[in-house]
Formats: sequence, structure tokens, C-alpha cells
Amino acid sequence: MKSEARLFNIEEFDIKLDTEFLGRNFVYCDEVESTNKLLLESKEFNQNGTVILAEFQSGGRGRKNRQWVSNSGQNLTFSILLKDFTHGKKINLFNLAASLAVAHSIENLYQLKVELKWPNDVLIKNKKAAGILLESISKGNKIEKLVVGIGVNVNQTNFQNKFDISPTSIRKEFKEIVSRERLLSEILNNYESLLKVIKYEPEKILTDWKAKCKMIGEKVKITDYTSVKYGIFDDIDQNGFLILKTGDKFEKIHFGDVSLR
Amino acid sequence: MDINLIKRLIKIVEQSQITDLSVQEGELRVRISKNSNSASQLKYQTVHELQPSSIQMPAQAGEPVRDTKTAGKEVHADNIHEIRSPIVGTFYRAPAPDADPYVQVGDVISPGMVLCIVEAMKLMNEIESDVSGKIVKILVENATPVEYNQPLFLVEKT
Repeated sequence: MKSEARLFNIEEFDIKLDTEFLGRNFVYCDEVESTNKLLLESKEFNQNGTVILAEFQSGGRGRKNRQWVSNSGQNLTFSILLKDFTHGKKINLFNLAASLAVAHSIENLYQLKVELKWPNDVLIKNKKAAGILLESISKGNKIEKLVVGIGVNVNQTNFQNKFDISPTSIRKEFKEIVSRERLLSEILNNYESLLKVIKYEPEKILTDWKAKCKMIGEKVKITDYTSVKYGIFDDIDQNGFLILKTGDKFEKIHFGDVSLR
Repeated sequence: MDINLIKRLIKIVEQSQITDLSVQEGELRVRISKNSNSASQLKYQTVHELQPSSIQMPAQAGEPVRDTKTAGKEVHADNIHEIRSPIVGTFYRAPAPDADPYVQVGDVISPGMVLCIVEAMKLMNEIESDVSGKIVKILVENATPVEYNQPLFLVEKT
């Protein structure tokens, strides 16, 4: 498969990038430990909207420090630095909006049907095509940096590790090799538009996200570090948290892995 | 009135959210109040009066008055600083379930030191200290939910 890997063409990406600030400071690395970590810790890459794309992450992470495995040159693993946002009450909308941006982009470019799994997994035919992990730093109660890390399986066709949810890639579903450059520019274009929606019409993010989540109303199992909960995925609240209905009781879920029962 | 009693009363007010307390014994009335305009500075005064009330709790007791500059920052004694959660989520004292906590009570901290993580929906938020000082109290149990702006740590500033 290595012969199909190719270097990222920044010119091709730049032509399609139609943003004011997202990706205007663009860093392309061959290999880093983690693009999220680099943006969180770096004083050098500090401009709002900076995007770091790495061909290979030696320490790519998902939630609970799960490994994120990605073949070099075939996928998109990148992080976006956001520094300009109001306050913590809206922060989960940046999270939901990131999954919406990826979903819209895949639908627009390849006409594939995309669904979202709470909180932000991007699925094609119930298989995982993209994952998102956000990390932020706050000094006292003020959020200083928010880093949105996105991994999209683009042209990889073989997945050999074990996964919680079966992986797929756009190429596997679209049956063609696709342009990573075009996809990345589309995701950033869409995400920047959604950042404006968060500012002026935040409830639209929730409505659009819910329209793409087929688990709402279904019986689900929620697993977190220490416990397993069963119930009905009733809704998401205004902060994006999952409302789990068990009998007559409603419980707000902050995090966890959701699966259908 | 016994000076030790006055000292004890000052301590009670200092450690609580009461902003104003008046106590009368015979002809002597003592009023202890935290001055909300100068960041909860504690002061007391004695007043000679003949009013028959024993203990007065003003209406605002338990609800400290804050001006906009100090709101969310200082509510206790002058050198005690509250570190609050910037987001709604679950509070963790350590980076992983089997790891050591970032900080313990008594630890000396400086700005930029990581104190805890609050997790919400695949967002891991590291909270760094914005002051220098010593952790005097950890107000939330590990792995429990916290609300927006909920106090997490009390830090004695140095």
C-alpha cells in the first residue's frame, strides 16, 4: 500500500481553501508525536486558526489515551488551534460542530450518507470514518486554547489493529482514491462557517447534529471508565450532553462510549 | 466581652460566606463584616448601644456581595483564591485512573501548573493555576460531575 501514499500537495489544498483564518497558518509535518500536543504546548504556533497536519503521529491519541493508528500519506490527521471564543458554556458546540463539518464535507464531495455517533464520531454505514479529540488549557476559569484534533480515514483500505467500532475509509466506501487536499480544505471551510453559526445561531448546531444522529430514541448502553449504564438515548441538552432515560429518571451523561443494545 | 470570643467570631465569619455579623452582650455590640468592595477584607468594629437584639444576620448573609472585578475570583479571606471550573464536565485529579494526582492539599503551586482535568464529551480540559500559592482545600471528589464556574480548589496566595 505504501506506493499509493503520496506527499500532501499544499498548493492544491490552498487553492480550495476559502477561509478567513482557519488554516491560514498551515504547518505540515512528516512525523510528530501528536498534532494536538504540539499545538497545546507550542509557543511558536500560537496564531488563532493554525492547522498542523502530520503524515504520521508516533503517539496519536484518542479518548482514554487510546491509540489512533493511521498509515502515513493516506489519511488526514490534523489539529486546529482556536483561541477566540466566548466562554465555557458553549465549548461543547465546538465539539459537535467539528463532527458536523467532517460529515458535511464527506457528503458534499462524495455523496456518501454520513451519520454521527455521540459525541463526535463520524460513521459511514455504521463504521467509523473519522474521530475527533479535543483538548484545552484553561488558566483558572478562563479557557486559553482549544485544540480540535481530527483524524479521517481517507485512502487507507487495510485496518489491522483491533477497534471498538469497525473502521472504514472514504476510499472504501466511495470506491476511488480521493484527494486529501480537497477534503481538508472542505472540512476547514465548513468548520469556519459553523464557528459563525455557534456565535450567532448556536441552537442550529444542536438541531443539525441531532438530524444526523440515528441513536436518539434508541435503547443504548453507555460505558465509561468504571460503569455501564443502560437506558434510552432521549435527547441531547443545550450543552450537547446526552440525556439518558432510565424508567422515569433522566440522567445527564458527560462522556462515555455509546452503543446500541 | 471576652476578647477571645471576639477572635472566635472573627474566625467564624472569615471561614464562612457570612459577610456581616452583629452580636450584642449587655451594652456592648460587636459587628464583624467582610468588606466586599475591597475583596472581602475582614474588619470589625465595636459599638456601644442599648438595642436589645442579640444576633443579627443581615439579609445578604450567605450571599457575598461581589463587584464585577472580583466576581468569581475572591469570595473568602483576602489571600484565599478560588479556582473554578471553566466548563461543565467530570472532574479528575489525575491524568489517568492509576496515576498520581496532579496536586495534593499543602502543595505549593505556581502559575501554569496543571491542577486537574475536567472532561466533557471527548474534550479534555487541563486546568492550570493562575496564581502562586498553596493548595489549602480540594473542594470536589475525584471523578464527580462539576458545573460551570463551580469552585474546585482553594489556594492561599503567596
